[in-house]
Amino acid sequence: MDKALEHSFVELLEKHQNIVHKVCRLYTNNQDAHNDLFQEITIQLWKAYPKFRGDAKFSTWMYRVGLNTAITLYRKSKRSIKTQEFESVQFKIKSEPYDDTEEQQLKQLYKGVHQLNDIEKALVFLYLEDKNYSEISETLGITEVNARVKMNRVKKKLRTILNP
Amino acid sequence: MDELELLKKDWKKEDKVYPKLSYNEIYNMILSKSSSIVKWIFIISMLEFVFWLFISFGLKASGFNLELDGMEQNFGFIAISIFSYAILAYFFYRFYTNYKTINTTDSAKTLMENILKTRRTVKQYVFFNLFVLVVGVAYMMPYAIKQDESSRALLETAQANGELFKYYAGIAIVTIIGLAIAISVLLLFYWLIYGILLKRLNRNYYELKKLEVE
Repeated sequence: MDKALEHSFVELLEKHQNIVHKVCRLYTNNQDAHNDLFQEITIQLWKAYPKFRGDAKFSTWMYRVGLNTAITLYRKSKRSIKTQEFESVQFKIKSEPYDDTEEQQLKQLYKGVHQLNDIEKALVFLYLEDKNYSEISETLGITEVNARVKMNRVKKKLRTILNP
Repeated sequence: MDELELLKKDWKKEDKVYPKLSYNEIYNMILSKSSSIVKWIFIISMLEFVFWLFISFGLKASGFNLELDGMEQNFGFIAISIFSYAILAYFFYRFYTNYKTINTTDSAKTLMENILKTRRTVKQYVFFNLFVLVVGVAYMMPYAIKQDESSRALLETAQANGELFKYYAGIAIVTIIGLAIAISVLLLFYWLIYGILLKRLNRNYYELKKLEVE
């Protein structure tokens, strides 16, 4: 029974792992920290998995556990993960090579997003993942109105970073 | 174009950039141990319960050493003992039920509130113990003075010189200073441990709460 549960979980996570990578991308600044947060989110997802009923989409459920781990539960640790392949990969912003201005803007934007606080990052993350305000408010536990207000402030903040 | 729309356009393209972890790599991860703050809060809280249990045993043991003076039949002492165990059971039950409500699939705010609630229970227990410690020490002090030979000799000398008030005042001051130092060290220890552990959680919780009051 446990083996079957393990198998179904690992298979699902393998398929949807990009969601976890994206959370790590926003909340960490280097590869080691990325790996570490990835592992903690995986553990938390696995711990919560027996209660996953399947009435929600696995990916939607992952957003919540992933963000909760990044915002609330995660403690930096120095454990190392044996994933050679994983560590050798560098993240690069892939933008169109002919548009230098856009590339510069994107670089600035990513830098700006990293300067935001944890809650603002969560808003940006959910927005980038095409979540509507109702889902954003439910994930964070704030009202829809407050989610909109906060999002407008984040946009303003990013605009200031881009055009100081 | 809106800044976030520009970012979103790029964000969607990034799907191929992330490393792909294999089945086995993910499987190994689920076998490893968590280092989440909830786990640390649980460990530290358990240590706190054990620590105060030891302190309470220590106090009681020193009380039983004074049994020649009838301490074991002293109603106040027995009442404090029973009361402190009942309180321990109550706080432990509350801690456990609060801990059980911590659920990573709740909203961020609810999760934070539940973690803070668990912490608050242990904090209340610690304050209760500090209170019992102060009352216990004050209560046992007269017995200890009578029991200890050098203290008794000092008391008799003071009595003979008519300086009884000065003697008791001196003992009271020394006891208060001793307790104040012990309590300060404990509180500093707490402040450091939980300050570090809950710094991020408190900051994020405040950020969410701030949205409500604006």
